[in-house]
Amino acid sequence: MSGATPSTARRAVRAVGLVLLLALLLAVPALLDSAYWLDLAVMVLVWAALASAWNISAGYAGGLSLGHAAFFGVGAYTAVLLFNELGVSPWLGMLVGAVLAGLLGALLGVITFRLKGPFFVLATLAFGFVVHILAVNWRGLTRGAAGLTLPFDGGPQNMLFADLSTYWYVGLGLVALVLGVSLWIERSRLGYYLVALREDEDAARSLGVRVVGCKVIAAAISAALTAVAGTFYATFIQYIDPASTTQFELSVQIALVAIVGGMGTALGPLLGAVIVIPLGEVLRASLGGGPALAVYGLLLVVIVLTAPNGLIAGLRRVGRRVGVATGVVR
Amino acid sequence: MLGIEHVTVDFDGLRAVDDVSFEVAEGQVVGLIGPNGAGKTTLFNVVSGLVIPTRGRVRLAGEDVARLGPAERSRRGLGRTFQVVKPFGGLSVLDNVVVGALTRGQRVGEARETAAGILTRLGLERFATTTARSLPLALRKRLEVARALSTGARLLLLDEIMGGLNPTEVNETLDLLESLRAEGLTFLVIEHNMHAIMRVAEHVVVINQGVRIAEGTPEEVTQHPEVVAAYLGEPHESA
Amino acid sequence: MDLTLQILTSGLLLGGLYALLAVGLTLIFGVLRVVNFAHAEFMMLGMFGAYWLWALWGIDPYLSIFIVVPGVFLLGVLTDRLVIQRSIGAPEVTVVFATLGVSIFLQNAALTAWSADIRSVTTPYGSAVVELGSVRISVPMLVSFVVALAFATGLWLFLNRTMFGKAIQAVAQNRDAAALMGIDVGRVYLVTYSVAVAAAGAMGVLIAPLFSVYPRVGLSYIVTVFVIVVLGGLGSVVGAVIAALLVGVIESVVGFLLGTAWAELAYFLVFLAVLVVRPQGLLGRRGAEVYQ
Repeated sequence: MSGATPSTARRAVRAVGLVLLLALLLAVPALLDSAYWLDLAVMVLVWAALASAWNISAGYAGGLSLGHAAFFGVGAYTAVLLFNELGVSPWLGMLVGAVLAGLLGALLGVITFRLKGPFFVLATLAFGFVVHILAVNWRGLTRGAAGLTLPFDGGPQNMLFADLSTYWYVGLGLVALVLGVSLWIERSRLGYYLVALREDEDAARSLGVRVVGCKVIAAAISAALTAVAGTFYATFIQYIDPASTTQFELSVQIALVAIVGGMGTALGPLLGAVIVIPLGEVLRASLGGGPALAVYGLLLVVIVLTAPNGLIAGLRRVGRRVGVATGVVR
Repeated sequence: MLGIEHVTVDFDGLRAVDDVSFEVAEGQVVGLIGPNGAGKTTLFNVVSGLVIPTRGRVRLAGEDVARLGPAERSRRGLGRTFQVVKPFGGLSVLDNVVVGALTRGQRVGEARETAAGILTRLGLERFATTTARSLPLALRKRLEVARALSTGARLLLLDEIMGGLNPTEVNETLDLLESLRAEGLTFLVIEHNMHAIMRVAEHVVVINQGVRIAEGTPEEVTQHPEVVAAYLGEPHESA
Repeated sequence: MDLTLQILTSGLLLGGLYALLAVGLTLIFGVLRVVNFAHAEFMMLGMFGAYWLWALWGIDPYLSIFIVVPGVFLLGVLTDRLVIQRSIGAPEVTVVFATLGVSIFLQNAALTAWSADIRSVTTPYGSAVVELGSVRISVPMLVSFVVALAFATGLWLFLNRTMFGKAIQAVAQNRDAAALMGIDVGRVYLVTYSVAVAAAGAMGVLIAPLFSVYPRVGLSYIVTVFVIVVLGGLGSVVGAVIAALLVGVIESVVGFLLGTAWAELAYFLVFLAVLVVRPQGLLGRRGAEVYQ
């Protein structure tokens, strides 16, 4: 096969595929006629964004954080508090939350950049717990476990939409944002540095790669994007409390989704969300909360032992075989 | 260009380097030789910033670099290879070199061009898209050198880049060294291959058990009684 | 003065309890280089073991301990073979999330099997108190404390005075060298892991008469135990004991002064501070945890 044909054919197939995918995504609200499923679909988007954001810290920068729910909470609470107390639109609140979370993430990065493996994990765990305890106990600010409600006040300018489908489209935008940032990082100088640091930190440093700077920037970006997802979640559900935003279980689930899908890749976390969230919902509905989580735990163990690169690696292999079989790939 | 002043390194009671001092002038090729375990790689680690000496100072172009980590020293023109090669295994050969080029401040596109140029210079252009971890040892060693060059380093620490190479490969590497030296680069080379040292180094420092026991031209040093004693049993041939 | 002494004593006793968990966790890390996130779940299983043997057949925990602990030991063997040993040497994400997955699984399997109902074991000595001078000491706490210290001492003796104990230390220091010297590393891992979680199970049985039994109970302990283990230095048994007693006292004191929630916050911050400033803790080996 000459060089020209497969490449053009491959590009054509990819273009058609993308167009179809886009059409499908835009048509989702029409395809899912029940509010229950559309609701779930929007949550899939939230988790896709969360897992993708986490991946920037854990997959690209190698920092396995088990405290990311903290940033989710910061995004959610900042937007809600600014809206409830000061009438600031959640769109602006989202930016403020992102900046706050980014700074917090950077701080965490500075504190933890030298820690290896389980020590880093434990530090982020402690950090997550600190934020959670603050959320529960600083009642003056957060109303504690009672939570905060976001009144349905005003419309689109306050990120509050009467129509559920609009949340779907905004959610798509959110995922597109995080995906875009991920892809940009992959191709950028930061991306190269992060991979080098992951592969061999001493060698990378000897080439002039500044460890702290890279890890801190990645941590800040990851935190900020997580917070953006938090704001979106707050305006979607219109009720937040520490249990739904800063709890440890959330941090674990974020990691689980990304790992199952495929850490270190831009699309892996998205795949993870598409598979894990509906699966969890189905399990929860049919078996109950406990058994569903038990399955989650088992899934985590199995994936991590047998396919630590996530399902996307397997999917890529299948895709490649199909490509070779159909002559599209050499 | 490089000044090592009374460097001593203690590891939990083991003295790996004991009051070693010497200099490398700009444009020189200096050999650092000594039996295994003599402390040569530790000295490299001190110079490149991976190990903090218990005592002593390192000067790069006159500047005391004690406060600078490896990354900062690299950006001041210091490059090194590792004795046990450390490629970025999952990256392509080209990308390995791009990383270093990026630290020069070049944009990604520019850096890729610079890297491609370096690969061609070292005869690695055929392997540009090969994954680094699938390279055989000789090519990995060459990749180490390519990477060290990618940062635009003016002073290069080469740690046994000829270990495990066959005579043809050794000669190719020596030719490369000489052409780089002609461009004004400075080298400090750890090497066990005496033939190579004789051919390319104008000055040699000998370390044994952490102590500098001799220094001079290759001829002077190889006749030095202490050096001969340290290497007892090690055959060498002069050019 | 009486109050201070009382608080200190309660703190020390609490510390003894933590010690039983901490010693096991630190040993697992020191030898297998794995942070056993599922550690507290084995304690939970010990608690439930004691509960069911008491609820169904009226066996007192201080007797059923001889049944439950071997049971937990066997569970440890199973977990080690199926999960832990497969994760050693694997990429970091595997090592961390394998035990985390086991933790989630065990918690929720227990939840599924036994529901979230909070249960308790009532024993004649459950609320018995003994008076030493001006201090009142809960009998079960005292018993647990004694058992914990006996275990820690026994473990120390085992590690330092027996061949197998020395083999364990060898593996902890340099696995490859130990293997080259003919030590069966797999067996060392197996015994270490199983004994450590069995100790956790033992703790569960001992506190069953005192505290509520429910599937998520591990969560209340695991983070404290992490703090202790890091404070004492991962891998150091002596460090773990000292740190456990220290944390027990701190928790008791701060809890009394500020209330539990703020106490928790306080020692998370201490934990973070330790990780940043002196990650090897009091007695740990520097190098395992930080990039130079």
